[in-house]
Amino acid sequence: MKRAIFLFYFCVVLSSMNAQTPKELWASANNLYSKAQYADALQGYLKIEESGYASESLFYNLGNCYFKLNEIGKSILYYEKALKLNPSNEDLLNNLSLAKDFSLDKIEEVPDFILKTWIENINYSFSSDTWSYFALIFFAATAFLLLNFRFGSSSRLRKISFFLAIASVLLGLLAGYFSLIQRYRYTLKNTAIVMKPVSTVRSSPDDSGKSLFILHEGTKLELLEEIGDWKRIELADGRQGWITSLDIEVI
Amino acid sequence: MIGMYLKRVMLLLGSVVISIACMAQGAFTVDAPRVVELDESFRLVFTANSEPTSFNPPAFSGFDVLAGPSASTMSSTQIINGKRTESFQVSYTYVLQPKSVGKFTIPAASVVIGGKGYTSNPITIEVVKGDGNAAGNSERSAQATGNVSGDDIFMRMGISKGRVVKGESLVATLKIYTKVPIAGFENVKFPTFNGFWSQEIETPSNIEFVRETVNGKIYDAAVLRRYMLVPQQTGSLAVEPSEMICLIQIKSPAGGGQRSVFDDFFESYQTVKKRITAPGIHIMVDALPPGAPATFAGGVGDFKMSAKLSRDTVQANEAVSLIVTISGTGNINLIEAPKIEFPADFEVYDVKISDKSSKTNKGASGIKEFEFPIIPRGSGHFVLGPVRFSYYDISSRKYLTLSSGDLELKVGKDKGGNSGMSSSLSLGVNKQAVKSLTNDIRYIHTGLSHLKRGNQFFVASFTFYALLAIIISLFFITNSFLSKRIERNRDIAGVKNRRANKVARARLKTAESFLKQKLYTGFYEELHRAILGYCSDKLALPLSDLSREKIAESLIKKSVKPDLIQELLSLIEACEYARYAPDPGGVEMDKNYSRAMRLISDLEV
Repeated sequence: MKRAIFLFYFCVVLSSMNAQTPKELWASANNLYSKAQYADALQGYLKIEESGYASESLFYNLGNCYFKLNEIGKSILYYEKALKLNPSNEDLLNNLSLAKDFSLDKIEEVPDFILKTWIENINYSFSSDTWSYFALIFFAATAFLLLNFRFGSSSRLRKISFFLAIASVLLGLLAGYFSLIQRYRYTLKNTAIVMKPVSTVRSSPDDSGKSLFILHEGTKLELLEEIGDWKRIELADGRQGWITSLDIEVI
Repeated sequence: MIGMYLKRVMLLLGSVVISIACMAQGAFTVDAPRVVELDESFRLVFTANSEPTSFNPPAFSGFDVLAGPSASTMSSTQIINGKRTESFQVSYTYVLQPKSVGKFTIPAASVVIGGKGYTSNPITIEVVKGDGNAAGNSERSAQATGNVSGDDIFMRMGISKGRVVKGESLVATLKIYTKVPIAGFENVKFPTFNGFWSQEIETPSNIEFVRETVNGKIYDAAVLRRYMLVPQQTGSLAVEPSEMICLIQIKSPAGGGQRSVFDDFFESYQTVKKRITAPGIHIMVDALPPGAPATFAGGVGDFKMSAKLSRDTVQANEAVSLIVTISGTGNINLIEAPKIEFPADFEVYDVKISDKSSKTNKGASGIKEFEFPIIPRGSGHFVLGPVRFSYYDISSRKYLTLSSGDLELKVGKDKGGNSGMSSSLSLGVNKQAVKSLTNDIRYIHTGLSHLKRGNQFFVASFTFYALLAIIISLFFITNSFLSKRIERNRDIAGVKNRRANKVARARLKTAESFLKQKLYTGFYEELHRAILGYCSDKLALPLSDLSREKIAESLIKKSVKPDLIQELLSLIEACEYARYAPDPGGVEMDKNYSRAMRLISDLEV
């Protein structure tokens, strides 16, 4: 009986300890960060993340904490995570480029087709949510213009409405496509960051493979396939190899 | 015999006495061996550097006075590079012999020189039980011909502390101990102190021998070198052995038997080489404990710090110095300049460091001054500092942080230029680009957290699809509503048309039957009557005063189209005309019938 009471109290105490809502945790972690207690602030943010919540601001703040604690690899990881949620955030891009200055590897990126880069740039100038709002607005406009086209009083108005409706539906589809593709890329989980200060990339998925090159903390990789504990990766410059899963963390 | 030995030492090692005697006016010193054997007679010399008017000797308790006091006078004149120095000294010499073993103190003696009294220091002499092998006993050592044992001559490296922390200074002393006369040194190899910051603090040009006992034996000991060491590494640091070859004078084995005192001078001496080594030693160096404050500048010891500005009030663009003074004992010469953050608008120049430290047997002590020359570029009231300086305190074994108070600096407006310039308008200031001092990440987002569980995106969410569905359904609803309304409007027109047709058909029913029977006059009469009847009904005009003019007037009032009115009037006229005209035949009647039909329908609509 006593034991049961004790257990009950224990549970109550535990639950009251965990009772901090994410909102309270968020506020207290922000407060700790402002007092330069980065390690404690980090714990707060991580607790929010553990409870299943995610947001661009959360990842951004986590990245900042890790940066202040000099863990560049982790910092880049969280900035990249935040970037996947919103590729247009200026603060984020600024901090990420600063953090990348501290990572050792310099990789020459293979330039993409210029039109593709343009489209990517347009896509990444707004977040997925913004694009989806655009899509809805364009669709609404299309509907309005179509009605105008069908029931317009003058033929001139009907003509203009028709062409505008076509343009609007195309823009709406494009915005929807951008929005969906960003969402798709977030769910894809095909990029990773090197977490170990020094990590060897081998020619085959075992320790006996020849060492192809050495990567350092904070380098971004693309994941191609997986065999056991080994992942086949590709660098931005096109080089490929196998790296152990322990050395990297998926964005 | 002792006297002779001492003379020889003096001959070998130079005139030590003279160098000591070169002192200030009115000095009175005493000189005697510190250690003597029980049955040894020794000399005690009081020396004054001026002719005393009276000499008051002390009581020699514990010693027999064998001879003395014998006074002697010595004067010398030196001219070096045209500079003339004179020295003069009077010495009173006693020859004493101890009565028993122990430590005895000979109290101070006093003299009066030029009306002033001077006293010598009391001197303590240790008397040991002799084995007849005292260093001064030249007879014994001289008999050790040919080979000199390791006991007769050796070197030793002594250290002031065996266990230190990194940065704590210690003193190492290399000493030679001998019982035999030394003619010189060769191939002297002093140790290099790897892992230490080392500095010689005593390098005697004349080696002075002092009697010391080692393991109950009396040796002549002399300091060869004294070093101050500051360990720069941790762990067990080895000091290498030092080595040298001594040239030792021994009597040649030839000859023997009793000799008179003077015979010594005519004896043949032989010089032998002997390699002597001071064994290496180990010094344990502990690392400084962790948790050094950020302001720790490498100082280990005991320090004090003060900071001040050379002036409190300056004009802009005028130089001022912040002076930080650190004083105390320890590795003061290794202390780095404390880091001071100046306001960004200040121009700071290289630190000037002046080191006024002296090395003593206890390590370095003194004052180190850091001068930070600064030029404030803008006016205002600035608070500098506090300047913090941390060091490791050896006695309390922990880090201590010293802090100066805030230093206030008032910077006035730049006077700039001469008085003629200041009366006219200044031409503006030199523009400066806003300099980035450092790069740092941007601050965290503190606003709304937008925390979400699960799906992060709006695009495929329920709300998105719902909104899309609403837009589409709104479109279709509006579309069908609008098209239905148009449909209905079109229906109303049709009904009207049908009714108008009906009316017209009813009116022209009789006319139609006349048309079928081809009754020409009857048809036109009926048509005329029907049209006029329709107009009187329509325009609410009595049939009696119905004229073409009246009809046109009221139709215009009802804003009926003028061509319709014209048509109506011409039809009425045609009917009136046909009633009194013969039948022209053909389709005339059909044409007029359909005209009337259309007209009535149009007017109805």
